[in-house]
Amino acid sequence: MNRRRFLSGVIKLFFLLLTVASGLIALVYTYPARIRKLKTVYIPVLDEEDIPRRGVKTVTYTYRRGEHIISTRAFVVNHRGSLYVLSPVCTHLGCLVNWHRKKQQFLCPCHGGRYDIEGRVLGGPPPKPLTRLPLKIQKGKLKIGIKV
Amino acid sequence: MGRIFDWIDERFRVKDPHRRFLQRPLPEGVNYLYCLGGVAFTLIIILLLTGLLLSLYYVPSEKEAYQSVLRITREVRLGRFVRSLHRWSANLLIVFIILHTLRVIIHRAYRAPRELNWVAGSLTLVVAFFSGFTGYLLPWDQKAYWATEVGTSMAATVPGIGRQLLYLLRGGPEVTGTTLIRFYSLHVLWLPLVMALLLWAHFHMVKRQGISGGL
Ligand code: HEM
Ligand code: FES
Repeated sequence: MNRRRFLSGVIKLFFLLLTVASGLIALVYTYPARIRKLKTVYIPVLDEEDIPRRGVKTVTYTYRRGEHIISTRAFVVNHRGSLYVLSPVCTHLGCLVNWHRKKQQFLCPCHGGRYDIEGRVLGGPPPKPLTRLPLKIQKGKLKIGIKV
Repeated sequence: MGRIFDWIDERFRVKDPHRRFLQRPLPEGVNYLYCLGGVAFTLIIILLLTGLLLSLYYVPSEKEAYQSVLRITREVRLGRFVRSLHRWSANLLIVFIILHTLRVIIHRAYRAPRELNWVAGSLTLVVAFFSGFTGYLLPWDQKAYWATEVGTSMAATVPGIGRQLLYLLRGGPEVTGTTLIRFYSLHVLWLPLVMALLLWAHFHMVKRQGISGGL
């Protein structure tokens, strides 16, 4: 190995190491320093006497995430004697589904996902049933638990 | 590695036209003083890269600028390091451009046919000054605010159009959030763009004219 080859090898190695180090620094710097644990908070959405006796009721509610006020909805369902709350977030890519009363199905407007009244997938791309949100009845209010 | 580059270059063809430039013989008497311009360019590369990283967290708004800079130094991992690198490189850039200019003066390398490259070089110094000046406001602390207050008020001393020039720079009669956004835009978009064009011209002329043969 002559002097020229050796020096050009050293220079290449130097720049290779420099590139790798810069890339690592950029990655560590860019990755979020703190990832906050989400915690469940209960939000009142309905008076107890407005809970449906049968079928699906769409409720809307708002909550804060930092400075942001987020407005969204959920489905309160009373079906065959059991009361539960379904999240409207489609399990495919997160569009909000709608209740179609005639068909008795939740329909996703994005890619045609379909769910039955219990949130089970009937067709389309969704991989999982609709998420059930925790609920409790407290001081005459129906409250649902969401992660904030 | 080399083989990958060669494969790309066979299609991209950038090595061949530059071979004449990369493997040309250098004039006698070239020494390390001829590296000063290269050092300045290296600093600009560092400024570009660290600046891009800072812009991921910096918020150019009256309400949040100061907090966002504090967050960079206190919370972001390696944030203090990246910010310091940007700051030090900015200061050193001015030093090295001036040293490079002195070398050119001493070697009288500004003479024909290199006059235009002297002009291009001088303009990079002006752009570097403005980058430093606009960047200095961005932390939006007391020092930044007053430095900009004083710095921009110099524009008002221009005869005739001084006042209008001042309003133009500040985006109003005082230094406000409008000034901050103006300076931010200049600092991260306009000036780096102008700098890139100037440096392209600068290096293009060095390539065409070669470096001058010392004294
Ligand atoms: C010509 C080259 C440049 C010079 C001379 C320069 C100079 C400066 C200076 C003096 C500061 C204040 C530093 C501080 O207080 O920490 C600053 C801040 C900043 N610069 Fe640059 N800069 C240059 C290029 C860039 C580029 C290309 C970008 C982005 C694309 C950028 C983005 C920023 C940002 C976001 C800040 C505010 C964050 C902070 O204050 O730490 N800079 N710059
Ligand atoms: S998001 Fe609902 S089907 Fe794709």
